[in-house]
Amino acid sequence: MRRIHARLAAPAAALALLLAAGCTSGTGTGSSSAGASSGGEKEQLTLAFETDVYGWDPSNQPGYQNWQAEAVWDQLVFCDANGKLTPGLADTFEITDQNKTIKAHIREGVKFSDGTPADSAAVAASFEFVKSSGGATNDYKGIKIDTPDAQNISISWPTPQPVLASKACNPKIAPAAWLKAKKFDVPVGSGPYVLDTAATTTGSVYTFTKNENHWNAANYPYKKLVVKVFANPAAAVAAMRTGQVDAGLVNQSDVASIKGSGLEVKLFQGQTTRLLLTDHLGKKVPALGNLKVRQAINMVFDKDAMAKNLYQGNAEPTPQVFRKGTDAYIDGMQDPYPFDVDKAKQLMADAGYPDGFSLELPTIAGQNFETLMPYVTEQLAKINIKAKQVPLSGANAIGDLLSGKYPVVLWQLGNLGNSALQIYIESTPEGWWDLEHQPDKYVDSRWEQLGTADAATSKKLQQEINQYQVDQAWFAPMVYTGTNFAYKADKVAIPTESDQEALTPKLRDFK
Amino acid sequence: MWLSLAKNLLRSLAVLLVVTFATFSLMFGNGPGIAKAVLGLSATPEAVQAEVVKLGLDRPLVVQYVDWLGHAVRGDLGRSFYTGESVSSALANRVPVTLALIVIALLLTAVFSVILGVTAAVRGGWVDRTLQIVSVLGTAVPAFIIAIALVFILAIRWKVFPATGYVSPDVSLVGWAASLVLPVTALLIGAVAGAAQQFRTSVLDTLSRDYVRTLRARGISEREVILRNVLRNSAAPGLTALSLTMIALLGGAVFIEQVFALPGMGQLANASAQINDVPMVMGTVLVTIVIVLVVNFLGDVGITLLNPKARKR
Repeated sequence: MRRIHARLAAPAAALALLLAAGCTSGTGTGSSSAGASSGGEKEQLTLAFETDVYGWDPSNQPGYQNWQAEAVWDQLVFCDANGKLTPGLADTFEITDQNKTIKAHIREGVKFSDGTPADSAAVAASFEFVKSSGGATNDYKGIKIDTPDAQNISISWPTPQPVLASKACNPKIAPAAWLKAKKFDVPVGSGPYVLDTAATTTGSVYTFTKNENHWNAANYPYKKLVVKVFANPAAAVAAMRTGQVDAGLVNQSDVASIKGSGLEVKLFQGQTTRLLLTDHLGKKVPALGNLKVRQAINMVFDKDAMAKNLYQGNAEPTPQVFRKGTDAYIDGMQDPYPFDVDKAKQLMADAGYPDGFSLELPTIAGQNFETLMPYVTEQLAKINIKAKQVPLSGANAIGDLLSGKYPVVLWQLGNLGNSALQIYIESTPEGWWDLEHQPDKYVDSRWEQLGTADAATSKKLQQEINQYQVDQAWFAPMVYTGTNFAYKADKVAIPTESDQEALTPKLRDFK
Repeated sequence: MWLSLAKNLLRSLAVLLVVTFATFSLMFGNGPGIAKAVLGLSATPEAVQAEVVKLGLDRPLVVQYVDWLGHAVRGDLGRSFYTGESVSSALANRVPVTLALIVIALLLTAVFSVILGVTAAVRGGWVDRTLQIVSVLGTAVPAFIIAIALVFILAIRWKVFPATGYVSPDVSLVGWAASLVLPVTALLIGAVAGAAQQFRTSVLDTLSRDYVRTLRARGISEREVILRNVLRNSAAPGLTALSLTMIALLGGAVFIEQVFALPGMGQLANASAQINDVPMVMGTVLVTIVIVLVVNFLGDVGITLLNPKARKR
């Protein structure tokens, strides 16, 4: 009997500890971002992050929701919500030489977290690094860098760059020696925060302490930044509802329960739901080479009903893919393809496809396809287009989607604040979302002119491209939509939206 | 006995090689896909090809596997393709979380399933019927559903326990325990339901043996018969049930760690598998196999020690 008692002692002790913990813990593990400390500073900002960090290789950092990278690294210049340059490590800068060169003056006295100076040599090394490493090497092909002294730098591309601003504001600035060593276990930068490795558990919680010497420290009111990883959206919602985190992205289906828990939800309309009809020449699917077929596809979607029913009102019908207020956006554009299935059928018959045709539509889990795809395939079937869904998954999913194998893709693709960048990505043969990479004289010639255009001409050219794409039905735009960002309004303010992707607030937007 | 255990050990090594090679094979041939995912959407075909070579994914399957195995034997499990994090370091952080979760769940499962199984077998009647109904329910409801219900009631509604997250015992022992209460409970219900049934069946079987009747006829108290003889003789099948439960808990931890945002090995395995992060996947698979083999081995040792017949083999 005594032996049995002894065997039971360990689990009994474990149980006792667990029960005691329940009695004493309460919800004390919540974030402690409540109070503002003296001098307008706040104690802690705790954010929910829906995937783990991508490591600390500065050449391989996604732009979307990447608060960790924003925390630890400065950039030479920053891009604002419209893609316009604002000061960064450089306090002054100018774009010269017909959009081929950016000249910048680097702030004096800035140091990296390892104590080395953040000077022109470090900026040069950082640009050289992205030229040879990571996924954006093509953007920096052929650049020449001149550093006349420690504070001045000039970076030149071989040809005029329509999106030079975006290329200038991407590289993270890090010390040359650190980049050369390529040991990226702990980030070294001159950003507004420094990673606290002792309080960080990789894959779970990343803790940063404020860099009080940062040149823009006043813009970052929180003394401590904590980013918690939630691979499961339900876990993130539970953490928000119990006060463990202050802010984070939530799914549309969770918006009501989040609001019921006293949090605010801000809709970022950074996406335009659309079908991409990129086989304009009909090389993969001959029918898509016919304008009337592409126009017919545009006319089978009831955009108003989609916004109201599929998106529960959190969407806005649109006939164009570009964001409102951007250079390419055309004010007052009437929908040239209003919902009219009968007319769509007539267009298909006129094009010689009264019996329709077949195509494959790729799907990837977690892209809202559960709601959208049934409607899209059903509407296409009304003009006898038989859409077969092809599920894509794993590491290959995005690569397969962009491979050109599928000339028609349904996607909630970004509408960028910098519409020239959006044209580059979606409509030029080099663009990764121009899936078939087919040349087009009208668009390509205007793209070339954009390289040397002044602001007014640039706007005119971009709107011409937009109008042309609408006339040629390169897309079947449906609605503006985006992401839902929940936050504790009594602790966190988000007065600005400076992300040109408009999907989450930037770190600099949290007040 | 030692020969039997040595055979088991050799068998375990063979299983380890077969499973790791099979896992490696399943991820083979996806070099460009992985490289594209590592570099991002805008990567050019040239950059993708260069990355394939850099990661060593252009080599034949057997060469890659032997290379991995050779390094693994020397304790070098490589680095994540995506984050560059050392696999050994990631596992060192994650394995203790998962082990804490499943070891506590297993210990509690052992306690509750023995108590419930023995009580049901000995008492019979409505106690037994109730246990059976509860067991069926406990087994039928998936752990993640129980987990969501626990979070809603005990974390969101009553605010008794934290909804998510993990606190290291180095930081706070009470915080550590609090962070494990709900995940352990979610795992525990199904595990106890299954194991208690096994114990009940085993005890009933032992109770029907002639020697139990003889002991009772000799006037030995029922309490002593149960605790000294029946329980000991029912222990071997129970131990087998518990070792299987441990393995099931390991599988269940993958989902439970997601629901509670615990930085354990299950979460790492799931995330790595989705993006074909070969070194991370291989690291988590290796540790999982080792845990399973160790549990099986210890189970065999336990059964051998408890069962005189097994000792003679």
